[in-house]
Amino acid sequence: MATTTAPASSAIERAQSRSEGQWAVVFRRFRRHRLAMVSLGILVIIFGASILAPWIAPFPRDDIGLNRTTLPPMTPDPVTGRLHVLGTDHLGRDFFTRVIYAARVSLMVALSVTTLVAITGSLLGLIAGFFGGWVDNAISRVMEFVATIPDLPILLILSSIMIQNADLIVLPVWIIGPVAWIMAVPAREATQVALLILVLASLGWVGVARLMRGMVLQVREMQYIESARSLGGSNVWILAKHVFPNSFPPLIVAFTLGLNGALVSEVAISFLGFGVQDPTPTWGNMMGFATSYMFNHPWMPLIPGLPIFLCSLAFNFIGDGLRDALDPRLKL
Amino acid sequence: MTAYLIRRLIQMVIVTILSAMLGYTLLYIAPGGPLLFLQQMQNTGQRRVTEEDIARLKARYELDLYLPVRFTRWLAGIPAGPVQIGGVNLISPETVVGCAIPGQVRLRYPDGTTEIVEEGCNRVVTLADLAERRTSRGILFGDFGLSQQIARERPISDLLMSRLPYTLQLMGVSTFLAILIGVPIGIYSAVRQYSRFDYLMTGITFVGSSLPTLFMGVMAILIFSVLAKGAGLPYLPSGGAQGIRDYTVPWIGVVEAGSGLDRTMRFIMPCAVLTFFNIAGWSRFIRASMLEVLRQDYVRTARAKGVRERLVITKHALRNALIPFVTLLAGILPTLVAGAAITESVFNWPGMGRLLVDALGRSDYTVAMSILFISTVLVLLGYLISDILYTVVDPRIRLA
Repeated sequence: MATTTAPASSAIERAQSRSEGQWAVVFRRFRRHRLAMVSLGILVIIFGASILAPWIAPFPRDDIGLNRTTLPPMTPDPVTGRLHVLGTDHLGRDFFTRVIYAARVSLMVALSVTTLVAITGSLLGLIAGFFGGWVDNAISRVMEFVATIPDLPILLILSSIMIQNADLIVLPVWIIGPVAWIMAVPAREATQVALLILVLASLGWVGVARLMRGMVLQVREMQYIESARSLGGSNVWILAKHVFPNSFPPLIVAFTLGLNGALVSEVAISFLGFGVQDPTPTWGNMMGFATSYMFNHPWMPLIPGLPIFLCSLAFNFIGDGLRDALDPRLKL
Repeated sequence: MTAYLIRRLIQMVIVTILSAMLGYTLLYIAPGGPLLFLQQMQNTGQRRVTEEDIARLKARYELDLYLPVRFTRWLAGIPAGPVQIGGVNLISPETVVGCAIPGQVRLRYPDGTTEIVEEGCNRVVTLADLAERRTSRGILFGDFGLSQQIARERPISDLLMSRLPYTLQLMGVSTFLAILIGVPIGIYSAVRQYSRFDYLMTGITFVGSSLPTLFMGVMAILIFSVLAKGAGLPYLPSGGAQGIRDYTVPWIGVVEAGSGLDRTMRFIMPCAVLTFFNIAGWSRFIRASMLEVLRQDYVRTARAKGVRERLVITKHALRNALIPFVTLLAGILPTLVAGAAITESVFNWPGMGRLLVDALGRSDYTVAMSILFISTVLVLLGYLISDILYTVVDPRIRLA
């Protein structure tokens, strides 16, 4: 009995797994990566808090109170008696309120930069890899040039020039509007955030473009591309229907790790004072202020520090989990 | 090989000039600068600023020259005066290269308002005028000009040289330690793949490489300076390369400011943070490279011949696994200059990265551009060196 059912059930399993979509398989494999799942949970909580920031924040974002500066966590307000869960900063603003608003800015900057980078980078990479010839040559030379310039110095220089001039630079409303809405900041603060996004994205696309170009060069030689072409498929059709989906998996991994890169860059630039300026909170500029008060108030750097730590680690774990889940050679 | 080198050198020069142009464009659009300072003086009524003052200041910072002329003078120090060969002028010395005092035209609009617009030129600068000026030899030849804000009127090269030893010390020691610790970890992890040691080390290096140095630095100060001091334990002073005043550390006693002990104690934390961060990179890299090599046929052959495992690993596998190592070595070169701007800022370490941050904070863009330029050249040099090293360590690779 047992001998007859075993092959039969495995055949059913095989049939089922065949009917299971590719993404269902990937998700099933991803779920086995415990740390990645925990990370996903943490990120969902932090993202959720940042999106709900205007509704769950107990205090106004910029509510300065000089009679309640640098209160430790879990202290009631000296006047109103309302609880400051994470204490207050050097100007008496509620830390919990600011940290979730900052999450909104920091995470959304990371997300917008990575999205911009993914779109421009993969488009350029696709074009370079697929068409080859002088198109590839031109794009590749530009990529080499951008890759030659050391990241951190040029990033700091560009953002400091841009941010110090933010008042003089007039960005179109169709950029400012969405940015202000997504970041939950007033429109006049949105300019510097938008500029920072542009600076980070203008240097970040090279990595994605390189990756995409490499993938396309591999995929292009496959037989199914040849057959698609012999069936009369146009370039755009082949790119969209065959080349892009097949070069997609590594792009997802790069996207997750890119989120971490963009987050860390924004934090570093704002920490050094060349990014988003106070009163717009980001984890980076909060960290900058907190470090100058840490000698008397040692808990202060932990408040923006822990979310940075958690998100950074979470993005990496998820990237790792996705890499494993998307790799067909790996048996999980 | 020679042809390849020549081609690479030409490429390098082109990229260098391109990046210099990029840098100069940024300089050109950057705000601040000496004229803003003069404007502020006038606005606050400190001093009446005359047209002559402006012209003099413009001449000092070459702001009166046309952009292309300014760029070539900044890049290579030409033209330094009338262009002559054997006493014969190639271009007329009266050629206009800039404008010292712009002409002003008062526009009167139909609605009665007036506006003063700069148009034309009241006093021009000619090629002959340039001969009287201090001419930089050009950044291509290592003359970066004068600092505007950080150290007024001091040559930038002095400024850079005063910071370079600190950065070299920090980056040199931390890179050396990271290689010393990271490479053996990587090798051992690869040889004992999926062992408990491997899991532990991959875990630690994974965390190490994904944490921002900013976070690690601040946490290090929090634990080893702030909390340790608060608990009455021996603590490490944070910030700066040496102290200003003597201080007392429990168990150690009085530490004299500027002494060897003081310097060492201040060096430990930034060095440890950078080392930890770099160990992660090195050991992951070596592990991957070693795993790749251990799968090769010649390793199996060596084992099949009955070569002792130790020899297989050190002689057959390791030597080949170290080949990609040279590309990483080349990557170190640019980081020696401004690679640790964040760590240096967190620990207030007076190195080049910190100088960059300071220069940007005070809108001294000439200093910032010089650092960018040097690091770009070092990146290019690094690529070249790694390419050449590749042919040395791997005879299969030929440059053509």
